[in-house]
Amino acid sequence: MDVLHKILVAPFIDMAAAPDFLMQVLWEGLVSGVLYALIALGFVLIYKSSRIFNFAQGIMVVFAALTLVGLHEKGVPALLAVPLTLVVMFVLAVAIERVVLRPLVNQPDVILFMATIGITLFLIGFGEMIFGGENKVMITEQLMIPTGAYTFEPFGGFLLIEQKDLTAVVGAGILVLVLLVFLNRSKMGRAIRALGDDHQAALSVGISLSTIWVLVWFIAGIIALATGIVWGARAGVSFALEVIAFKALPVLMLGGLESVTGAIVGGLAIGVLEKLFEIYWGQPLMGGNTETWFAFVFALIILLFRPQGLFGEKIIERV
Amino acid sequence: MKYRVKTALLGAALGLGTLLTVPLASAQESIYAPNLSYRTGPFAATGIPLMNGQRDYIMMLNERDGGVNGVKIDFDECETGYSTEKGVECYEKTKSKAVVTQPWSTGITLQVLPKTNVDKIPILAPGYGFSPMSDGKVFQWAFNPPASYWDGASMMLNYISEGDLDSLKGKKVALLHLDHPFGKEPIPLFETLAEKHGFEFLPIPVGLKEMQNQSSQWLQVRREKPDFVLMWGWGAMNAGAITEAIKTRYPMDQFIGIWWSGHDGDLQAVGEKGKGYKSISWSVPMNDAPVMADVKKYVVDAGNSLLDKPEDMDTVFYQRGLLISMILVEGIRAAQNEFDTKVVTAEQLRWGLENLKIDDARIAELGMTGMVAPFSTSCADHTGHSGAWMLEWDGTKFVPASDMLTADQSVIKPLEAAKAAEYATANAPWPVNEDCKM
Repeated sequence: MDVLHKILVAPFIDMAAAPDFLMQVLWEGLVSGVLYALIALGFVLIYKSSRIFNFAQGIMVVFAALTLVGLHEKGVPALLAVPLTLVVMFVLAVAIERVVLRPLVNQPDVILFMATIGITLFLIGFGEMIFGGENKVMITEQLMIPTGAYTFEPFGGFLLIEQKDLTAVVGAGILVLVLLVFLNRSKMGRAIRALGDDHQAALSVGISLSTIWVLVWFIAGIIALATGIVWGARAGVSFALEVIAFKALPVLMLGGLESVTGAIVGGLAIGVLEKLFEIYWGQPLMGGNTETWFAFVFALIILLFRPQGLFGEKIIERV
Repeated sequence: MKYRVKTALLGAALGLGTLLTVPLASAQESIYAPNLSYRTGPFAATGIPLMNGQRDYIMMLNERDGGVNGVKIDFDECETGYSTEKGVECYEKTKSKAVVTQPWSTGITLQVLPKTNVDKIPILAPGYGFSPMSDGKVFQWAFNPPASYWDGASMMLNYISEGDLDSLKGKKVALLHLDHPFGKEPIPLFETLAEKHGFEFLPIPVGLKEMQNQSSQWLQVRREKPDFVLMWGWGAMNAGAITEAIKTRYPMDQFIGIWWSGHDGDLQAVGEKGKGYKSISWSVPMNDAPVMADVKKYVVDAGNSLLDKPEDMDTVFYQRGLLISMILVEGIRAAQNEFDTKVVTAEQLRWGLENLKIDDARIAELGMTGMVAPFSTSCADHTGHSGAWMLEWDGTKFVPASDMLTADQSVIKPLEAAKAAEYATANAPWPVNEDCKM
């Protein structure tokens, strides 16, 4: 009985007793969710257009952030370092298409997946050669990202919202909106979707596979840079940033690998739910650190009912 | 730029697994001392300065003195990326020639520990590893001088209680720790002391993927309001925690890290805002120590260091790396003298590490006065249980902020003996050195 009370009643009493704390938990969950969604988007875009699960997304985040900070260390002004980093990410996209993907056209998906593991290993070695493995400080203030905090006193309590978190939420929101408009309204965006729907049909109407692949890898590079800036501002820029890519896996399971909407909704849902579970159930009842598994279990439960994920495409194969 | 290019080239060579570290004439006699390093992966930022310090001290000796008693040390690095699996592979790869295993991770140490009785190669884990390794009667081949994690935990509690642990009664002490063997290592001692002195102990684990985003852990801190937060953090976890502590407005003077949570690189990310944060440390940076001048002259200025820039010599972790190699070299020297030989074997080195006498006079001879506290090891005590100091971040660097602290051995010794016996029973048949008097 006591156990049931702790699981079913006590957490809600805690929420009601300290609503300001609940608001803080929800805010932190929302910020985490936006960050997860951002990482997941990078995976989705590449998968959508080429059916490649891009294992290199995590290291692309590190590489983009290190390039930005590295250029600034060399004396390039921060606001110029951003477009220069984008140029580097574009060159990387072209190189990946030419050297890795083009020779592997029509190969099974698993071969292309293995190729992205190769890209990961190359970028780790190349990045360490150029930038070293030491921790670097993200140039948050130089990028004019505010670093202060807003404090509120809801219900006589205390709520703190960091300006850089708010900037991350707003910035990620704008980026997602631009992406959605691009994918749905622009000619190139429609070409990306067409390629995702049916490779052969898309090629037959003159859509260039290589151009689209360069484009999606470049967009994934832009997302990687945005992700690198936001996460790097929290705890510095180092190769440790690579592990955050794993946080996107349950988001992809939940939202579906092909769905931009799924990545956003899945990211936000997992961000908020895992935070609520950790604070009100995980820490009091299980000793904490439930965030390492909660998202996977939650996604698995959803998959029991919707194997294609919340927004994934239902695949019907005729025999 | 000159250093960057050199680092890039040398780093690439390391990545390819080549034996570049200490140039040796192939025909020359040497002592092969591998290091299971981690210059890559999520913990590279912490590993690089330590590995650089270790490597540069050996290079300096090889250049300045022609090695140890005329025998050069063949210092090789095998990259683990702080992965336990890769660490075990490195151990297997190097063990045929190695006189020592420097595992560089508590996880790797625990995996290799049972193999030492068979392979008869001493493990040297200065300031890390399994704390009961101190019990030389049970762990004949493992050494963790000059201080163990349990020493560190005891000294931290002594510091926050001003020497009277009973004054912590009714208070809450949180342990923010990496959810990894390293992070869990001090928990038995904290639990024992919490029960004895009546304070509440609250472990707060941080998963590997949560290192950069510890908002949940710090929401718990906000809710539980611990009187002190002690941290067992490694790599990116340290910067992540300090960033969140600042955001949560947790008082910095109530936040103390273990010696691996006191890395200049981690604190530079927060700068002035991290002012007041402390880290217990068995090493103290002494930029003007004679040994530093020699390392600069023979290695850094000669262009043979992997340092990114010469100023990086003035950091806690680089200088701790020098001290770690000093401990190894002193073990080799003791073995050479005892067995009247130049090229010592692993078994002879085990004797050397068991008979370290690092007193004030020896520290002065080594040009390291003030950098480390005196300590000595014995058959029964493979740690030495040296003292340590509290270092404080002043906004730009770590500075000493306390007199030398010591650990409460009356609690640590019995716990070491109990846990060592427990380990031996769980891994039976486990050979015990009955000749060793406790």
